Amino acid sequence: MKKLLMILMFTLLPLSLSAQAALAAGDGPSKDMLKGIITEVHAPERTITFQKDDTKELITLALGEKMQPEDIKLNQKVLINLDKHAETGNVMKDVSIMFIDMTVSKLLALLVIGAIGGLLSGFIGSGGAFVMTPAMMSLGVPGAVAVASNMCHKFPKAMVGAYKRWKYGQADIKLGLVMAVTAVIGVQIGIKIQKYILAQFGGAGSNLYISAVFMVVLVFVGGYVFYDAWKLAKGSGEATVGKLALRMQKINIPPMIHFKTANITISAWITIPIGVLTGMLAATIAVGGFVGVPGMIYVFGVSAVVASATELIIAFVMGAWGSVQWGLSGLIDIRLALLLLATSLIGVQLGALGTTYVKDYIIKVVMATTMLIVAISRGVKVPGYLADLELISPLEPGTIALFEGISFWALVVALGSAGLIIIVAMIKGMTADSRSKKTILGVSNG
Amino acid sequence: MTITTFDKNMSAIAFAEAGEHDTARQILDGKTSKKQPRKSPAPVAKRKPYLATIIFGTISLFAYILLFTNEKLVTDIFTMGGWRWMYPVGAAFFFSFIHGAFASNLLSALGLEAKK
Repeated sequence: MKKLLMILMFTLLPLSLSAQAALAAGDGPSKDMLKGIITEVHAPERTITFQKDDTKELITLALGEKMQPEDIKLNQKVLINLDKHAETGNVMKDVSIMFIDMTVSKLLALLVIGAIGGLLSGFIGSGGAFVMTPAMMSLGVPGAVAVASNMCHKFPKAMVGAYKRWKYGQADIKLGLVMAVTAVIGVQIGIKIQKYILAQFGGAGSNLYISAVFMVVLVFVGGYVFYDAWKLAKGSGEATVGKLALRMQKINIPPMIHFKTANITISAWITIPIGVLTGMLAATIAVGGFVGVPGMIYVFGVSAVVASATELIIAFVMGAWGSVQWGLSGLIDIRLALLLLATSLIGVQLGALGTTYVKDYIIKVVMATTMLIVAISRGVKVPGYLADLELISPLEPGTIALFEGISFWALVVALGSAGLIIIVAMIKGMTADSRSKKTILGVSNG
Repeated sequence: MTITTFDKNMSAIAFAEAGEHDTARQILDGKTSKKQPRKSPAPVAKRKPYLATIIFGTISLFAYILLFTNEKLVTDIFTMGGWRWMYPVGAAFFFSFIHGAFASNLLSALGLEAKK
């Protein structure tokens, strides 16, 4: 069986690498982005002199229509987006300062979201990414830097979480690696689809696509997980392997792989599509775990505790891979990554040990709650995108502001409620555990 | 004075009624002086890793201070791209080991352990 696994890994890895080479930029930044320092502003001509970071070459760029010369800051590292639709190639679309000034309030905000994101991650295997990136962007971090820094904080967090849960006997390393390799391929496919949509329908079309995927996956999968968790909560609380998973386990197409910790034997042909979908979703909405974990539970027949632990291995491999990509382009703000890590490394270990005190279905409850609330946060953005595409009449500024507010607060509520459920379930589990220990002690003492 | 079996039993009963079951058993067994080590189902409390928490915490704090006092230099070098991807990725690994060990010891020191 080991042989078959090795064959599978060695055939899939070069495949993914060649896909990576073909895409060149991979999941890194777009080619219309420049990184460097603005050395001079020529206000009358509305041009700037820009020194590229990598080649140190000096180039002249024209300011975009909406940009003002006095807004340009000199001698600071900036990211410049070029206007793709301009007649001459060197027109700027926007400019953003790469490194935000780290004030005390920003520092505290990063520490708080780090802690809750970590707790969630340790408990359900994924989490935080959907809130970390927008949160960093609202602190003034440019989008690409926010994605890159989140990636660089995600893989060490996942590594520590995976190690802890492996020590508790919950993580299936083999399943994690098999899923991770196929997920890397899924990421490439996901990026290709995104690029196609971006080229065909522009930014608003791409946003609409992302939101639609978000909504469909989160509402359907999250809804099902919630229904399942609710059934378990009403019943004995003990999960049984579902009918679909039992049917899948009976499909005997070689190579069949046995996963010891997960305690299943399943055909690689079943694990591949789930892995690919996980990667595709990760490339589209940045949270592959929302398909990966339910996939492992309902299609493979793995328990929620093992599935969420195994997801951390997938997150580690994919996060490390992504970090190298973003690091090659030099877009990681290490300060952001390390500040998030300062508290998320505590949170992830707390979440991991929390899983040893709760019943399997609590993990499903937390996962479903998060997914459904995050769906709301994306759903309210859809009308805006539809208006951008001129499919509906333009929205009032007040309505846009309201939707933005709902979207942001839904994310806060998602994180907050998930954190609360985890803490309450954990305290309950710990109290029950210490009470039962005391009872045993009391009985033995006479 | 010799203690008869009757005396022994009576004093054992007196202790047992007072809730001192161990003493009562000891009297009945005739071992009044030496205490037998008793097997307990509850694990003996492990020593909490205060020292390790402090050591890893200090290293981690020092590393954070070092990074933030040289903020400009670090951010410039770490974002040069190319092979320098090793800097941010390496730093993330370094912090995950040091700070991760601190976090792990901190939780143990606070008495938060996984269920056995």
